[in-house]
Amino acid sequence: MNEILKKRRTLQETMNFMAALSAGIEPILGRGANSMTMSAGRNLGRKFSENANKTDDLLEAIAEVRKVLLANNCLWLFEPFKPVGQETMVTTNDKGQNQVLIVFRDCMIRQALFRFGHPQQGSLCNMMYGFFAGALENIMGKKTTLEIKHAGENACLKLLTVEA
Amino acid sequence: MLEMIINDKACRGCKLCLDVCPTDCFVYNEETNKAIVDKVENCIGCLSCAYICPSGAIVHKNHHVVGNFYRNIYFSKRMEKFL
Repeated sequence: MNEILKKRRTLQETMNFMAALSAGIEPILGRGANSMTMSAGRNLGRKFSENANKTDDLLEAIAEVRKVLLANNCLWLFEPFKPVGQETMVTTNDKGQNQVLIVFRDCMIRQALFRFGHPQQGSLCNMMYGFFAGALENIMGKKTTLEIKHAGENACLKLLTVEA
Repeated sequence: MLEMIINDKACRGCKLCLDVCPTDCFVYNEETNKAIVDKVENCIGCLSCAYICPSGAIVHKNHHVVGNFYRNIYFSKRMEKFL
């Protein structure tokens, strides 16, 4: 039990450190902080998804990203979301790009930010965008963006756009 | 199934819930000057409305509650490789 408590404390401190790092670099680097974390997330996404199955189907690709996260012990619970009145899960915007709304529930980043009292939608959240971009680049071979539509206390809503 | 309930007596009609909801679950009743739940199916359970409501009039039931990773022993074990 002592060993677990020790690990838990280490985890807490690691997450505190991560949030503090994020809070610290943002005022200094400005928008550059987002690029930095985005790039780090993309590299991680690429690395984790090296052996993932390739597909052109967006929903299959999202399922593959979920598998990649689970296989690497990353607990980021997310699911595609279809609002009432929308006919299909995947929609196409006026530029011909495929889009899907994703709800993120359990999120290590949100927990770390709340622990530190740091606002959401900052550089750490951008890391998640990077992760998806990197992983989907490997899986679908296309560039993607993950826009934060809403950052909530218990869940976040993001819009995943895949270039045509 | 997720439920979202607005306490009629507590709602002051400030419309903050309408503004914060990302999926437009609420509508404003002009007659009663109160918010009402319109599309509960759209609720993603972010709980932003419940947090922002000044009178605490909004209650959610059967929603996913984010696990507290800091106190979750199972999670701590799984994170071992990063420590």
